[in-house]
Amino acid sequence: MYRHPAGLRGFLTAIALLGGALVSSFLLGAAAFVALERVAVAVGRSGGLPGWWILITTTLFLLPLLFFLARTFPFLSDWYYLLPAIVFLLVFTVYPIILTVYLAFTDYSGARNGLPDRATETAVTAISGRRITLAADPRQSLGCNKTCLGEKVELVADGKRARFTVTAQQGRTLELDRAPGFEPRYAYRVNVFHYIGLRNFAYIFKNAARALWPVFVWNVVFASFTVAATALLGLFLGVLLNNKDLKLRNLYRTLLIISWALPGVITIQMWVALLNKQFGAINRLLGLLGVYPIPWLLDPLWAKVSVLLVNLWLGFPYMMTATLGALSTIPDELYEAAKVDGATSLDAFQFITLPLLRAAFVPILLASFAFNFNNFNVIYLLTGGGPATEGRLSTAQATDILISWAYKTAFRAEGQSAYGLGAAISLVIFVLTVGISLVNFRVSGALREEGRR
Amino acid sequence: MSRRAWGAAFGLLLAYLAAQWVFFAARGLRPGSFLVFGLERGDWGLVLGFLLSAGLLGVLLRGRLDGTDAWRLVFWTAAVLEMGAYTWGLGAELAGRVEPRPAFGAVFVPGGWRYVLAGYAAAVLALFVYSWAVIKVGNRLSGRRRPVGPLFGQALTHLFLWTLVVLVYYPVLQVVSASFDPRNNLFSFRRVHSAWLLVRAKVLPSFANVSWDNYAKLVNGVVIYPWQWALLALALALLLAALGLAAAARRRGGEALGVWRGRALFGFAAALFVLVVFLGPAQFTGIGTESKFLLWVRNTLLVSGSSGLLAIALTATAGYAFARFDFPGRYPTLLTFIFVQMFPGFLALVAIYYLLSWLDLLNTFTGLLLAYSGGIISFGSWVYKGYVESLGRSLEEAAYIDGATRWQAFTRIVLPLSAPMFVFIFLLQFVGTYSEFIMANLVLTGVDKWTVGLGLYSFTTGQFSTKWGLFAAASVLGSLPILLIFYGFQQYFVSGYTAGALKE
Repeated sequence: MYRHPAGLRGFLTAIALLGGALVSSFLLGAAAFVALERVAVAVGRSGGLPGWWILITTTLFLLPLLFFLARTFPFLSDWYYLLPAIVFLLVFTVYPIILTVYLAFTDYSGARNGLPDRATETAVTAISGRRITLAADPRQSLGCNKTCLGEKVELVADGKRARFTVTAQQGRTLELDRAPGFEPRYAYRVNVFHYIGLRNFAYIFKNAARALWPVFVWNVVFASFTVAATALLGLFLGVLLNNKDLKLRNLYRTLLIISWALPGVITIQMWVALLNKQFGAINRLLGLLGVYPIPWLLDPLWAKVSVLLVNLWLGFPYMMTATLGALSTIPDELYEAAKVDGATSLDAFQFITLPLLRAAFVPILLASFAFNFNNFNVIYLLTGGGPATEGRLSTAQATDILISWAYKTAFRAEGQSAYGLGAAISLVIFVLTVGISLVNFRVSGALREEGRR
Repeated sequence: MSRRAWGAAFGLLLAYLAAQWVFFAARGLRPGSFLVFGLERGDWGLVLGFLLSAGLLGVLLRGRLDGTDAWRLVFWTAAVLEMGAYTWGLGAELAGRVEPRPAFGAVFVPGGWRYVLAGYAAAVLALFVYSWAVIKVGNRLSGRRRPVGPLFGQALTHLFLWTLVVLVYYPVLQVVSASFDPRNNLFSFRRVHSAWLLVRAKVLPSFANVSWDNYAKLVNGVVIYPWQWALLALALALLLAALGLAAAARRRGGEALGVWRGRALFGFAAALFVLVVFLGPAQFTGIGTESKFLLWVRNTLLVSGSSGLLAIALTATAGYAFARFDFPGRYPTLLTFIFVQMFPGFLALVAIYYLLSWLDLLNTFTGLLLAYSGGIISFGSWVYKGYVESLGRSLEEAAYIDGATRWQAFTRIVLPLSAPMFVFIFLLQFVGTYSEFIMANLVLTGVDKWTVGLGLYSFTTGQFSTKWGLFAAASVLGSLPILLIFYGFQQYFVSGYTAGALKE
């Protein structure tokens, strides 16, 4: 067997070795990818290689590297058990988070997406060294903002393409930062995005009264009311169904769990039709009770009520099941002892059931709050954030919560696909969500490991 | 409680109300907004009610309470009255937003709630009479003296629970009945002729014209090759065999039956996997997007199933290492895993979109799969670590004595014992990704790549009213896999879920 270098030194050695292996194989993989792409373009695939090939080339370098590392440092093989999880976490969770932080400070958007703008296609008529001459005035045909100085252009020939920066402009002639090594046929302007500092955050806080504050307040109301309502109903039902003398209790439990057993993405959408004002099934039922048709999804205030009711319907089975699970862990002897001591059943409930339930319930409530705080599906699929409210940003309407606001800002037409701004909003949500989670860990003590360091 | 304390309480209350008034006035809320409404009517009523009730309580409880109790009393009275005022104000505001005009063509019973209330009162009375009679007769016959209360309470509980069951199932019933309605239209003015009020009001479905039209449209133009039919038959046969063996094993017990049941289930899963993988877009030749419904189901099963498998693959070794190894840096890494889990993956959706577009993986299942993979790793490793710790080390130690390596001990001993946990992790990821919408909506843009949720969303955002029946049929079919899985694995699915939530 092998021995680890002890203590912090061992940890740091392992991290350094693994990190070094990952970084160097990524660099090698990227280099190989670029080389392969050159080959592909030369062979005639004008689009080059699909980007995911970089994952393959990196893996091809990583595996032998790991093999040799394990030969030299046998203790590293323990870390290999963790490596798949670590790599996936790094690439698809940690890296996107870092990228979000970066994008939040840029003006990355649908119009500035880092791709060549196909509408600016301009033919190249002549080339000499670093100078190219275009068929039309570049200010119009390339759509530069006044002058093309400093803009990035992409030059394309059969099977070849490369990006250049414009360093000088003279009529229809552009001077590039280096000479293209081929005869370009067309030039495109690249829609680069820029670092814009805190401007996204400034926008968010300047328009806070039209979006951030009302959305945040409703988000908190939505999450806390949902948790409170589902927990109360779930607790009530759980206590009712925990009664061993009640006949059919298992049947009730199985029946009532239905809304949890159906996929939410389907049931939420089915509610859209059921809550229709004129023809919905809910208003049909209410009509029998003498209630006039309620504008469930048409009125801003009623839409909030609908969202809460639908979420109650979706959420109470989980709380009911959690209550039943927590109650089943309370030993019967406690109740018997209380009975012997002359306690009534109400006393037993107040002094045994409730305190023990509270211990089990606090983490569940906090986890549920964190989940509902970002419950995109209910909002987006039921109301789409609407109905429209006066004096709000078009992406932050009556029932929008922070995450749906971010989504609509980044990916819907009314937000002009402002990816950078959406990332900035996501960052605000990150901070809030992490705060909730930290409280959760603190309260539930989830990180404590008995019997280990 | 001293006079000074009372004075302080009133002072605080007044200051609170003043601050509230200033706050709302400064916000310039328009009159009629429920908050102002609550302030205008509710809060002055609140002040009066608070004064009255506090005075009354003070008189009643003079000398019987210590300071803390009194403060608590003041606090709760204020809170309850405040809540009441706002609920009232909110209710009044909401009611004001309803036009007092029945829906066109709908059955409207003015004051119908009175009948319902009367019906419930009658039911409660009947239940009371019934329990009273049963208990009295029972007491007379057996000579015991049992009270009426418990039985009556049980009867009331049943009444309440059945009411709740009806309310919870009402939407489901409506959707299922709409799926059998050939008219396929939400905007139906047609009157139903029936002797039953509930049927006339379309609250209960009328079974006059039940048809499978909507379901037929969903499978219209789907070409299934003979070998696929054969495989489907094989899969169903294996499933039936597994269920039969399970029933037989429960009745008689026996190890061999259990092994064969496992093999049958595995065969079923394998057959289903082959079916799902080889069902291609080319087999869907029908007109209209709805004829691709089965393709969407297949896509969803493919994505959810493979992301469940990926979750097992990623978490198994990590959880084992966390549970059994003791190398420097194990605990910090575990903490890092859990810390990373606090960032929900979909919050980084802009970045994931950017990453996937850079990798040219937009509109591919691989891209969606990779985007989903990060979410389960921390939680899955954590749960599996707990499971391995509960297994005990003795078997592995015996294997080490026999000369096994760590990897062998893991693959030959721990992995076979971990099947229940793997099923749980798989189901967790499967069910979670089946219902996932935001990421799928971002990544999958082509009709042929849609999942069930996206396909249904295209129904609700387009001409929803004219596709209502189709939507209903599709939701019934699309819900079935999850419904079956949930009820099939309910026992340890539910227990694992709630236990996981406790630890999460």
